[in-house]
Amino acid sequence: MSDHDDFAATLLSDTGDCPPGLRAWNGSDPAQRFAVYRNNVTVSLIDALADTYPVTQAMLGEEFFRAMARLYVRAEPPRSPVLAWYGDSFPDFVQGFPPASGLPYLADLARLEMRYVQAYHAADASALPMADLAGLLADANALAHVRFSLHPALETVRSRYAVVSLWIAHQGQTPANSLGEINLDLGEAALLIRQGLEVEIVRIEAGAAQFIDCLRSGASFADAVHSAAPFDLSNALALLIRGGAITHFTLQE
Amino acid sequence: MNKAVTTTSLALALSAALAVAAIPMTAHAAEKDKCFGVALKGKNDCKAGAGTSCAGTSKVDYQSNAWSMVPKGTCEQTTSPTSPTGFGQLQEFKAKSA
Repeated sequence: MSDHDDFAATLLSDTGDCPPGLRAWNGSDPAQRFAVYRNNVTVSLIDALADTYPVTQAMLGEEFFRAMARLYVRAEPPRSPVLAWYGDSFPDFVQGFPPASGLPYLADLARLEMRYVQAYHAADASALPMADLAGLLADANALAHVRFSLHPALETVRSRYAVVSLWIAHQGQTPANSLGEINLDLGEAALLIRQGLEVEIVRIEAGAAQFIDCLRSGASFADAVHSAAPFDLSNALALLIRGGAITHFTLQE
Repeated sequence: MNKAVTTTSLALALSAALAVAAIPMTAHAAEKDKCFGVALKGKNDCKAGAGTSCAGTSKVDYQSNAWSMVPKGTCEQTTSPTSPTGFGQLQEFKAKSA
């Protein structure tokens, strides 16, 4: 290991001696200074998770959240210099974190929060003009095989729990007032769609979310409809078209 | 499963969707006002995630240059102790001293 790797590894561990060869400019103890630096790095990463997962933190309380986040930071140090993406595997960590197992909806709630950030920072793309889509109506057989490309900022969430309601309740000034009305065991799905600089979260049918996921993975129009649970197709399409979410299509040769 | 989907029904759905989408948007985003001075500490609505400078960064309650999206028309009815009018405002304002 190079000195640099050695330094980085010790920085991201809970213990470990100060890497050799460090000197303070004024001759003070480098071990103490290194400990301060290490603590700041850890705390900044926990703060980053708290920024991305505010509702998850609100559900757990700050103390529990930060203790869990500290373990995550140790297990999954950053792999990218982009701090906004840090914690994309946090929902999976939450799912497998035994002390949080009493809140089975928590991992999906965290997924919703990460997808929100991903939608916010995703690339721009222009919507396909409606006239181009209308042109597809001329040939119903070709339409069935068309493959739509969707906007990079589009995200979906599907959960067995009412995580969308939970998230929305936390956007109000006084979440406690509406939390009691949520039946957590009612599954929900949502579409995250960026309009200008704002990410909107729209509740949709689970089938519509499946349909959109299939389109995103490259399925043809007819196959995507077939493989989803029943849903209102024209509603789902209207939502996508209105949100400028269809950016391109290809016809089968 | 939607095994009964026919090519005709796909075309009908797209056609209906295009008709609906042609009507101007009345979704909630269009009905909201940016309201200054009503966000509680750390609860302003600019959510860009970690590493950005604006998510949840208002440091004092009712900070006058921090805004939240509120249902249209309700901003100027929301109490704001820092506002000279006593309510939220649609523009940034200079906080009165408490």
